[in-house]
Amino acid sequence: MQKSVVILAAVSIAGAALAEGALTLPEEGSISRADGQAAFERIYEVVTHPRCANCHVGEDNIPMWSGPSYGEARPHGMHINAGESRIGAEFLPCQTCHVTSDDFDTAPHAAPRFGIAWQLAPVEFEWFGKSRAEICAQLKDPERNGGRDWRGLVEHLEHDASLNGPVAWGWSPGGDRDPAPRTLEEHVEDMALWGAAGQPCPTD
Amino acid sequence: MKLTVNGTEHEVDVEPEMPLLWVLRDELNIKGPKYGCGIAQCGACTVHVDGMAVRSCQLPVGDLEGGVTTIEGLGTPERLHAVQAAWVAHQVAQCGYCQSGQIMQAAALLDLNPEPSDAEIDAVMSGNLCRCGTYPRIRAAIHDAAQKLSEA
Repeated sequence: MQKSVVILAAVSIAGAALAEGALTLPEEGSISRADGQAAFERIYEVVTHPRCANCHVGEDNIPMWSGPSYGEARPHGMHINAGESRIGAEFLPCQTCHVTSDDFDTAPHAAPRFGIAWQLAPVEFEWFGKSRAEICAQLKDPERNGGRDWRGLVEHLEHDASLNGPVAWGWSPGGDRDPAPRTLEEHVEDMALWGAAGQPCPTD
Repeated sequence: MKLTVNGTEHEVDVEPEMPLLWVLRDELNIKGPKYGCGIAQCGACTVHVDGMAVRSCQLPVGDLEGGVTTIEGLGTPERLHAVQAAWVAHQVAQCGYCQSGQIMQAAALLDLNPEPSDAEIDAVMSGNLCRCGTYPRIRAAIHDAAQKLSEA
């Protein structure tokens, strides 16, 4: 059903990059509320996955670690604090270990890397430990999502992925890290479906 | 490919995936940066790239952008960097294996924060492990170097 309204022309390269403007957006209002809510549920699964949420943390500016050998998510080792700059400028720059490279293939327990400067997401984009309702409200609030409407969110995902940024890395994280659920292309498609349905939230 | 280390340009014939640490030690015979863990868990391989501390075991040389400084280029025996001088004054090193990385990290720290508190030193230096446990002397030497740099 989704494929009938959205045409994807995904380009697959090293970092599973997506071409900007690859997605033909559905007409606003052409997607039912139920389909929009189903798309949001899949978005929620992605953004709360450790590959995404571990660096979408709150104002303590401490990234999280999780994975097969860590059990429950816990604060990043080595006393790491990314500071209010969210890039570690006040303490140890994230890039001291997380170097910038389009080659995502790192060893297990080595510092993962992607094609732009490693950093925490802005504090307004806090997802770690947040509920469906909280994340839904944040995602559609231009005051807390970088001033984006739903089309802007789709463009943001495509643009970041085209730079081999964290959006592309989340599905190809290297080492033995679990990738985010489903595929990058499906996530971008879900963002468009949710948007065209009017960005319905679980508590609406 | 070409790279500049301690102000000298070198040409090396290596795969772009080779970590910078391998290039420094095995191709250029610059042995100050040490191999400890190979996965950014210990800090022994720390060098500067355009002044920023970088774990050279993590950086594919093909992704290197900027000039590299190793401990060999930080100071000279005749003119030690303030951090090196403080390390000697406080007799920081025990076995010494991690100390090249510790000194490079400490110098980068003082570049960004000329007057760090104990807590700030701990926050920055916790990625550099010392199995001899010289941490109290490392902290004292960093305070001393900060003082000397502020007087310079």
